[in-house]
Amino acid sequence: MTRGRRIAPVLALGLATVMVACTSETGPPTLTWYINPDDGGQAAIAQTCTEEADGAYVIETALLPREASDQREQLARRLAASDSSIDIMSLDPPYIPEMAEPGFLAEVPEELQDTDGIVQGAIDSATWNDELVTVPFWANTQLLWYRESVAEEVGLDMSQPVTWDDLIEAAAENDLYLGVQGILAEALTVWINALVASGGGEILVNPEAPSDELELDLDSEAGRRAAEIVSRIGSEGLGGPGLPTADENASMNVFQGDRGSFMVNWPFVYPAMAAAESEVMDDLAWTTYPRVDPDTEAAPPVGGINLGVGAFSNHIDLAWEAVACIVRPEHQAEYFVTNGNPPSAIEAYDDPSVQEEFPMADAIRDSLEQAEPRPQTPFYNEISIGLQDTWHPVSSVDPETTPASSQQFITEVLRGERLL
Amino acid sequence: MSAPTTTEARAHGRRRKRGSDRARSEARLGWWLAGPAFGLMLLVTLYPILQATYDSLFSLRLTAPDEREFVGIENYAVILTDWAFWRSMLVTLFITVVTVAIELVLGFALAMIMHRAITRLRGIIRTAILVPYGIITVVSAFAFFYAFDINTGYINSWFNWVPGIDESFNWFAQQWPSLFVIILSEVWKTTPFISLLLLAGLAQVPGELEEAAKVDGAKGWQVLRKVTLPNMKAAIMVAVLFRALEAFRIFDNVFIMTGGANNTEVLSLLAYNTSIGRLEIGMGSAISVLLFLSVLVISFIAIKGFRVDLSGTRGEN
Amino acid sequence: MGMSTRGKVGWLIATLLVLVWSLFPVFSILMTSFKTQDGLFSGTLLPPEWTFENYAEILAPGGSAQDLFLPALRNSIGISLISTFIAVVLATFCAYAIARLDFRGKKLILTSALAVSVFPVVSIVTPLFNLWRSVGLYDTWAGLIIPYLSLTLPISIWTLSAFFRQIPWELEQAAQVDGATPFVAFRKAVVPLAAPGVFTSAIIAFFIAWNDFVYGISLTSTTAARPVPAALSFFTGASQFEEPTGAISAAAIVVTVPVVVVVLIFQRRIVSGLTQGAVKG
Repeated sequence: MTRGRRIAPVLALGLATVMVACTSETGPPTLTWYINPDDGGQAAIAQTCTEEADGAYVIETALLPREASDQREQLARRLAASDSSIDIMSLDPPYIPEMAEPGFLAEVPEELQDTDGIVQGAIDSATWNDELVTVPFWANTQLLWYRESVAEEVGLDMSQPVTWDDLIEAAAENDLYLGVQGILAEALTVWINALVASGGGEILVNPEAPSDELELDLDSEAGRRAAEIVSRIGSEGLGGPGLPTADENASMNVFQGDRGSFMVNWPFVYPAMAAAESEVMDDLAWTTYPRVDPDTEAAPPVGGINLGVGAFSNHIDLAWEAVACIVRPEHQAEYFVTNGNPPSAIEAYDDPSVQEEFPMADAIRDSLEQAEPRPQTPFYNEISIGLQDTWHPVSSVDPETTPASSQQFITEVLRGERLL
Repeated sequence: MSAPTTTEARAHGRRRKRGSDRARSEARLGWWLAGPAFGLMLLVTLYPILQATYDSLFSLRLTAPDEREFVGIENYAVILTDWAFWRSMLVTLFITVVTVAIELVLGFALAMIMHRAITRLRGIIRTAILVPYGIITVVSAFAFFYAFDINTGYINSWFNWVPGIDESFNWFAQQWPSLFVIILSEVWKTTPFISLLLLAGLAQVPGELEEAAKVDGAKGWQVLRKVTLPNMKAAIMVAVLFRALEAFRIFDNVFIMTGGANNTEVLSLLAYNTSIGRLEIGMGSAISVLLFLSVLVISFIAIKGFRVDLSGTRGEN
Repeated sequence: MGMSTRGKVGWLIATLLVLVWSLFPVFSILMTSFKTQDGLFSGTLLPPEWTFENYAEILAPGGSAQDLFLPALRNSIGISLISTFIAVVLATFCAYAIARLDFRGKKLILTSALAVSVFPVVSIVTPLFNLWRSVGLYDTWAGLIIPYLSLTLPISIWTLSAFFRQIPWELEQAAQVDGATPFVAFRKAVVPLAAPGVFTSAIIAFFIAWNDFVYGISLTSTTAARPVPAALSFFTGASQFEEPTGAISAAAIVVTVPVVVVVLIFQRRIVSGLTQGAVKG
């Protein structure tokens, strides 16, 4: 016991020293880059750019959680605490206005304002109040993936644009499962937004208004059409039994299963299935996101990551220098090849290694040009969660009433009259 | 108490001398020794709850710090008139009542087994039930989640002979099955605690009384009902109150398994989502205060209404 | 012990049932931790194919969850140990005073400890979060150690008071009468008697700190202070969209093994600590 008594304070003291030691800094300034999880590509770029900087700075990466909403939560909390240790951030586009509005993001310098040669979807997502507040890094979009044998069997001509109705009919008649994301998470918002936008509508009319003046337009023709599609897939069981908990990965599993047929998903599924040596690889094909209206071009989802610099960073200029290095087209191309995340720079798509590794690269680039971002507002989180709450599980969506009640619910939440 | 006579005698002796210098210096020493622990304990609970009460009177969003505005009791009005709050309250109460009821029965059975078991088995059983007690709740939540989950689980294929369960049954897609798994995990993790409280209560039942009842010809269950249980009433009430208050703040299991989907959002999760997730500090604080008040009300009802004697827990009986 | 064969069989079955009930979920997640990425979807309890890959993910250099898990493990151990240590030291003084000295407010202290132990943690996490932001304790060890005291102090005060009441303090006086100085008397007569109680309280307090989740996810945001339970919920798969099931299960087992070992060695003490602190006097 006497020994234990002596050890414990020593231990406590020792730990305290370790804590202090961690905060001291020597050598070139260290820039901390908060990254979303990937296959190590961002860490590799950080390494390359550190070497290129030749002692001007060192980039260290710090990992954020997996869910986009969790990433936002972590960053927003730290920035609200005026945390100076956040230098560079990998930001999911929908949450950018919330960070930009209260001045959490440092101003983008002149030399990085040039958006020539960047896909439109990425520019839109990096902008707030007509100003570029972040720098596009990689851009994501969903394609319609399908199994050629199945498409042939059900008699769908995939060289022509297909509609959601086509897919639903094919699945219902042939006892097939569609790969869609019905989980209570951001993925569901992505789906709903793409459906509403493809139907010619928009969830939010005036995204730049203050919270109590925001107006939604879900209770519209496009909103009801979207509700009709998700509700049919849900109530007829066309998404498989796992639909209410299906995220991107789960729908990829459904797609590879016995009853897999068509799937909307991000391009990561291609390297993922290839790495797993999936049986469907030989049968795999892709095309643009399905249409809602046969005569109107679809509005595919856009995602990806933009880079922002923390307003409280001690090395803002160096951080922007580092950003300029990170987003160089050759780095983007390499990142695409190694990690499967598509570039925002059009030039990167012409890279020979990209064309070789990703036969669908051109389809991705085209999809990014016609993609529609989710509502760009500082209150995106409320809108997204409000949508998920009222549209989940999709089997319970009623095309007649859900859009209206969802709109009312979200409006009341935004006015501070209801809980979320 | 093993040595009540001496301590009590001494205490009486002291009481007579109260007011003397010695008593005063002893009291001072007492507070010097007990004060830091007491003060620190209050500091880390009392201060935050007062701060929360103050914050709850404002409309304050962390990502819009400049729009802070005094709104009085408006946050409370919004919460108390919102079905979402009452739904969370009902779900929380439901989980509390069901888990405590199941745990009471299971815990009592476990306590009886431990009480009666021969020494060698008792050691094994005690070791076994301490595993759920010591395990991290989040780990327990993941264990049950993965066992039941439609993708990674095996429960569906084990129990596909039960009507309504087959390979494609999604436990986390509807309210009742989700609640079932949440409650199962909670019961597994916390039954050991309640059973140990009951074991201590069992040990206090005079063995002679049970023997006497048996001699009088009472059957096993009659002894249980007429002699054992009435003598354990105090211990049972304390165990129920403790567990009920603990179950009422359930968070970890729900957070991991459903995240509040399918109407499984409990009060703690609602408070967390509002203040930490949405960064709506004002509204979140108001929910926190209401949660705190609910705990006070439950305690009050238990102590006054059911006459739970807490002094029994202090060894002062 | 005159027990009938039927009685023996009955006890054996009862013991077996308790064992299965108590250990099955642990066994279940242990099996999950040995499954390959494909094996996760097999629908069976036992892995169709055994692998240590998941342990490599969290422990080996270059593993996908390694830089999330190892710092979290360090944080959890450090933060829980320090808060247990502080709580037990303060609670020892406090409980000694309650058991040995006569002063007003004992009842107040014990009742407060009881109230604090059932306090809804979520209620105080928001104001703490706000305060920690402004004083710089957010996402630090100290920022978790302080609120952990609200978990570890009440139970320690409670358990130790019960223990100390049972100590025959006459021995201390007897030693003093025999000519020992108060300090020597305390060390020779009291410490050996009190040590088991202090040790038991420390185990129980440590379990409670080790288990915390709410403070862990709310008051941290990086590996600087994030403890294991919070880190588990942030795990990512080997690739961006891969499910982290295997890695989480492996990490869950790593943090459960010490608990099982402690329980195996100290079961008798833990049980007496829990029961005395609660009901018995």
